[in-house]
Amino acid sequence: MTLDSVLNAIEPVLRTTALGAWVRHSQWAWPVLESLHFIGMSVLIGTIGLFDLRLLGFARGVPYAALHRLIPLGIAGYALNVLTGICFLSGTPDQYLFNIAFRSKVTFMLIAGLNVVFFYTRVFKRLETLAPDAPPPLGARVAGAVSLTMWIGVMSAGRLLTFFRPPYV
Amino acid sequence: MDPFFTAIESTALSIWLRESPSLWAFPFVLILHTVGLAFLVGANVALDARVLGLAADVPPTALRRYDVIMWTGFWINAVSGVLLLVAYPTKALTNPLFYGKLALIAAGLVLAQSLRRQLRDDKPLSPLARRMAIASLVIWAAGITAGRLLAYTYSRLTVDLVG
Repeated sequence: MTLDSVLNAIEPVLRTTALGAWVRHSQWAWPVLESLHFIGMSVLIGTIGLFDLRLLGFARGVPYAALHRLIPLGIAGYALNVLTGICFLSGTPDQYLFNIAFRSKVTFMLIAGLNVVFFYTRVFKRLETLAPDAPPPLGARVAGAVSLTMWIGVMSAGRLLTFFRPPYV
Repeated sequence: MDPFFTAIESTALSIWLRESPSLWAFPFVLILHTVGLAFLVGANVALDARVLGLAADVPPTALRRYDVIMWTGFWINAVSGVLLLVAYPTKALTNPLFYGKLALIAAGLVLAQSLRRQLRDDKPLSPLARRMAIASLVIWAAGITAGRLLAYTYSRLTVDLVG
């Protein structure tokens, strides 16, 4: 069973959902969902991205644990983008499932997710007691660099989706 | 205005941006414009959220160390935005919404500057600062929406083509 055969089975299921039909047929659904997707992206980068920069040693003097309180807002932005992303995927699943840019985007998101596990199991506890002026430990730098790189990769691959999409079915 | 649009659209840079199959042409400029947007608006979202009470242990003045990130995002987008305009001047300049987007960006930047001036000495945050933070969030969301709708609301793509 190859990936393509699994995706070929999933594609018509997504396409025929009520959600998929609404996204395809409503005149304003797509532009509005796109706007929300870009707003969610900005919220995610403005919180998670700025925290990543702090982990890399930028904005020294900003307390690590205090800045981390922005993260719930970033998770809200992420959730908004997962929801709007599911709408796009249901609307025209063939445009995404067989698109190298989409597969790259999902791969970058998975690596970012593994990095979240690494950060909270290996790095976060030490940051809570770290002085605002102390340089970030190596693990924090690694987590910040991986996160920032992956989210910039997610945005770039997202922007490239239309240039790699297969012909419409 | 058509001769002006034609002049821009016949430059080598404009033709290359529109017609080159290279991912380093139009797609790369779009990527720059998106990543720049995320850092420009993101840095404002962070400061606005702080003014509205999130991450209350972060001194607002310390958060201003991220101003350079906001301005980096702004300049990336000023340059990539001019390139997008060089690629499709007719498309943008014949769409009234494009001027609305520019006005929203100008308002967002003026508001960002005056809100930051309010935070200079870590004084207690005034009700005015809170109202400015809310206005900032609304204006940037509207600016993003206006920008996204440009892809759907233009009437002419180039001088020679009707959208």
